Amino acid sequence: MKNRLKVLRAERDWSQGDLAERLQVSRQSVNAIETGKYDPSLPLAFRIADLFGLRIEEIFLRDA
Amino acid sequence: MSQKAAKTETGFAGRQPALWAIAFAAALCAIAYCEYRGFLGGWRSLPFVAAATLLLVPLTKAANNRQAAAGALSPATRRYNRRMLIWSLGYVLCLGTAMTVRNYLDPQGALLWGIAVLPSVPMIFFVWTLARYVVEEEDEYLRYRQTSAALIGLALVLLTGTLWGFLETFGVAPHVPAWWVVPVWAIGLGLGQMIMTSAERRADRT
Repeated sequence: MKNRLKVLRAERDWSQGDLAERLQVSRQSVNAIETGKYDPSLPLAFRIADLFGLRIEEIFLRDA
Repeated sequence: MSQKAAKTETGFAGRQPALWAIAFAAALCAIAYCEYRGFLGGWRSLPFVAAATLLLVPLTKAANNRQAAAGALSPATRRYNRRMLIWSLGYVLCLGTAMTVRNYLDPQGALLWGIAVLPSVPMIFFVWTLARYVVEEEDEYLRYRQTSAALIGLALVLLTGTLWGFLETFGVAPHVPAWWVVPVWAIGLGLGQMIMTSAERRADRT
């Protein structure tokens, strides 16, 4: 699943490590989600959405 | 992830996990070759096996550092690595004790049964370690990664076990003791980790 995580992170000038710390996950997890290698669970997706103050569908995009 | 979890240790033992893994594998191969040629065997191999097993200490330390550098060392992973090291050392200790008792005391009956079972006892701790990791790991991606690698290990055990079993049945391969399932599974686990890492690197490049 595609997502806007990298863009949103860059807008806030956060490194992957910064985002990982805020989400309480490993940096490897952030990298896997960003690159589309791993789709987060619904609870983690909500945490990500809450952190950026957006809705889940504004961050994670449906596959065409 | 806590600062403590991200802390890396330095020093000779804390570097290059691949180097220590190769050294460990090479030591085991050398011991196996010496046993095959008759230079070693039974209890005489034990000091060499014990020395080779000690290589797991720097290997674990180096693996911790590698995982920390990759941003993948959670507190649960750190505990898993430590428990796996304890299991490995305990396994060699129990195996050594069992072989020494068998060779020097020539046990019979219940004692023979006891020492035959002894090397399998650390397996309880091993299985518990796997189960605890799945329960304790709060990072869902790391848990998914480890579970996937474990399934690849299981696939390797099932495939090689079935293949070798039929080769034995048809008389074209020698008998292999069933306790080989654990080393084969461990190789599969390592292979699984390598496959996952390779997939991550491919995803990074795209």
